[in-house]
Amino acid sequence: MMPLSMVKAGETNIIRKIGGKEEVRKFLENLGFVTGGEVTVVSEINGNMIVNVKDSRVAIGKDMANKIMV
Amino acid sequence: MSIKIALAGNPNCGKTTLFNALTGSNQFVGNWPGVTVEKKEGKLKGHSDVTIMDLPGIYSLSPYTLEEVVARNYLVGERPDAILNIVDGTNIERNLYLSTQLMELGIPVIMAVNMMDILEKNGDKIHLDKLSEKLGCPVVAISALKGTGIKEAADKAVDLAKKAATVTIAHSFADSVEAVISAVEAKIGSDVADEQKRFFAIKLIEKDDKIKDMMKSVPDVSAEVQKLEDEFDDDTESIITNERYQYISSIIHDCCTKSKKSEGGSVSDKIDKVVTNRWAALPIFAAVMFLVYYISVTTVGSWATDWANDGVFGDGWHLFGIGTSAYNDAADEYAPYDAEIKGFLEAAEEKAPDVTKEFTEVYDDEDAQEADVDAAIKAFTSNSAIKSLTTEVNIAGEDEDEELVNVNVATFETALEQEEPDPADYGVWVPGIPVLIGNGLDAIGCADWLSGLILDGIVAGVGAVLGFVPQMLVLFIFLAFLESCGYMARVAFIMDRIFRKFGLSGKSFIPMLIGSGCGVPGVMASRTIENDRDRKMTIMTTTFIPCGAKLPIIALIAGAFFDNAGWVAWSAYFVGIAAIICSGIILKKTKMFAGEPAPFVMELPAYHMPTVENVLRSMWERGWSFIKKAGTIILLSTIVLWFLMNFGWADGSFGMLEAEQLDSSILAAIGSVIAPIFAPLGWGNWKMAVAAITGLIAKENVVATFGILFGFAEVAEDGAEIWGQLGASIVPIAAYGFLVFNLLCAPCFAAMGAIKREMNNTKWFWFAIGYQTVLAYIVAFCIYQIGSVFTGNIHVVGLIIALLFVAGFIYLLVRPYKESDTLKVDMKKKAFAK
Repeated sequence: MMPLSMVKAGETNIIRKIGGKEEVRKFLENLGFVTGGEVTVVSEINGNMIVNVKDSRVAIGKDMANKIMV
Repeated sequence: MSIKIALAGNPNCGKTTLFNALTGSNQFVGNWPGVTVEKKEGKLKGHSDVTIMDLPGIYSLSPYTLEEVVARNYLVGERPDAILNIVDGTNIERNLYLSTQLMELGIPVIMAVNMMDILEKNGDKIHLDKLSEKLGCPVVAISALKGTGIKEAADKAVDLAKKAATVTIAHSFADSVEAVISAVEAKIGSDVADEQKRFFAIKLIEKDDKIKDMMKSVPDVSAEVQKLEDEFDDDTESIITNERYQYISSIIHDCCTKSKKSEGGSVSDKIDKVVTNRWAALPIFAAVMFLVYYISVTTVGSWATDWANDGVFGDGWHLFGIGTSAYNDAADEYAPYDAEIKGFLEAAEEKAPDVTKEFTEVYDDEDAQEADVDAAIKAFTSNSAIKSLTTEVNIAGEDEDEELVNVNVATFETALEQEEPDPADYGVWVPGIPVLIGNGLDAIGCADWLSGLILDGIVAGVGAVLGFVPQMLVLFIFLAFLESCGYMARVAFIMDRIFRKFGLSGKSFIPMLIGSGCGVPGVMASRTIENDRDRKMTIMTTTFIPCGAKLPIIALIAGAFFDNAGWVAWSAYFVGIAAIICSGIILKKTKMFAGEPAPFVMELPAYHMPTVENVLRSMWERGWSFIKKAGTIILLSTIVLWFLMNFGWADGSFGMLEAEQLDSSILAAIGSVIAPIFAPLGWGNWKMAVAAITGLIAKENVVATFGILFGFAEVAEDGAEIWGQLGASIVPIAAYGFLVFNLLCAPCFAAMGAIKREMNNTKWFWFAIGYQTVLAYIVAFCIYQIGSVFTGNIHVVGLIIALLFVAGFIYLLVRPYKESDTLKVDMKKKAFAK
């Protein structure tokens, strides 16, 4: 397992675990970040990332990307 | 019977486009009670008894964002007759997550699968009949952008609502979860309608705190929750979420066929690879912003503002510019004569002041009879002193070179005979509103004070504000375009890390950039910031950036006190930017701004070309809401201020004053009372106080007011005539403090109106205005008191207080602060309890 923030652009991974505060984790789940789901990194600037999850593009901050384990 | 249909769906799924297509112009826009979430209602085209309610875009019915709470309270509390669930076909899996929750509300749902045209282009297929069977609701295909299938969807929704069909829930979870849901449903009392029980049961299992506020009696379900959590080794909410996604995955392969083609990444992904590229992102962003700024503030915008201020709310303008060039030619031809007349009169005044004065009094009087003027000219030119006068006048010729011309009585007379060209005689001249109203008032013999109120008070005041409307509309077109094509969401992503450091959002950059042209559209541009806290912070700090109207004040102070030094102007921008950064850092550590969402998570919509109609509609909605504001608050404020400026005790009685008598107006009296407040800032002179107050109408008024107060009827934009007198009245360091105070304090009425509109909350509005003014006062105080040390003029007490302020300020800046990462939604129960 490694944090999503370490993944290179273009790679697809399976989400293993989502950490962080409960509310934020729930919000991510509502957006489609669920354990076992696929996540693809589209691009990355200074740790902020754009990822593709369940066919939609979501921008997440570095601190969030650190808490999503793939 | 009236029917209510709620429009629900994810953000960026085309909901607003569908809403506009369904309702046309028949819309009412407001805010949900107590919150700054936009509420839109409209009547369905062709069905005056059907109301469509546009719910905010949401991902689920959980209580984590304001939008979700608002939508949920409406659906559960108001119980619309049907839900039209719009679903983005290109992203169906995630969209169905919300749909499964909507089905549980016990309200008939019809699903409209949007973006079918794009799906077909990609070669993907969605089998509507399968989807309908698996979800237990009617499904139709639409394209909101192209308008296909919309009518069918609306008709089906109306049918469904009329039938008041009972709802069957087709999707199901794992058996053990279903068993627990049934057990909890059985425990719920009769205060919850049967068809809503499943929704409440699931929310109770999810340990959703806010749901309890909506129930009269809350059953204890901790045993069931414990059982599920033990079984799945997870918390209940995640279990339910996973169950939902599992059901969706189980049906998605039956319902959709994906072509291989779309696997390689969509067009949007490809654009994103460039636009949000690590190296290219900032240059592209800078280029886009430059273009927006250049067109909407510098070129088209300033042209539009000039037209509105000098044309519509000025003397008048040439329709389509017909006659403008002819007039300009004539004006150029006349210019040398004008220079000759002016130069001759100047020389005459030196030589024979009395005679000259007699003449100019008649000559300058616009209402004088022609015969009187002729007589005056005769008397003047026949005067012996004038007859022998010859003077040299500089006349600017073509190509900027100057020519010295000798002017004597003869040339003066010829010059006088030349007719000054009137723009109204050329082309198609449309008189300005003040001229029209003025003529109308003269025609009906209106009393002087009333026409003064109407022309100088209302028309001038509201006109000054409405003059910005054309420019704002130009700007709003750009904003609407950037927003609906999907770039705005990327802006937030690109700029977020920089702005996050001082408590602002990535999108705060746009209001601030626009604010350097005019604060009003700047504040209104903050609408694009979804996060409530970021938006409020942006609204509060945007007007710190010196806007166009503050430039004359900068020019005045720089000219009168600092020998036109360039550093004054750039330091003004520096002060503005520093005020924004410091305010951001200080405010985000206060209680008012703490505790709301901090982590950055947002969906980026797919890029698409917006329709002209949608862009124009969005522009008009924003523009109109501002115009309405100008019609109320700003109108009232300008009338009050006009009264204070134009009435007072002169010549022993109370009455209306001449412009030159401003020093005996009520405003002057108020100025004298409040002037001591500004004494610690070094400019406790009532004239300065009055000038600062009139700056509330429009900041450029500060210069004009100084002009009147120092005895000039009219001064140049930078007030060059009064530099000497102003320079003598206060010390330079106090003047710089005055400048800073005017830059940072409460903005003009128009901008305050915009702040009130965008805050949508009286308490926050006053907090913003109060914060700005207090900050301005403290900074100006510190500048004067500490600056005085260097000029050798120390006030011990003041200096100590100033140093304390500085120390306190530094403390507020650096005090420890723990970034909040909880998502707190505080929604008054009243909002839905009714």
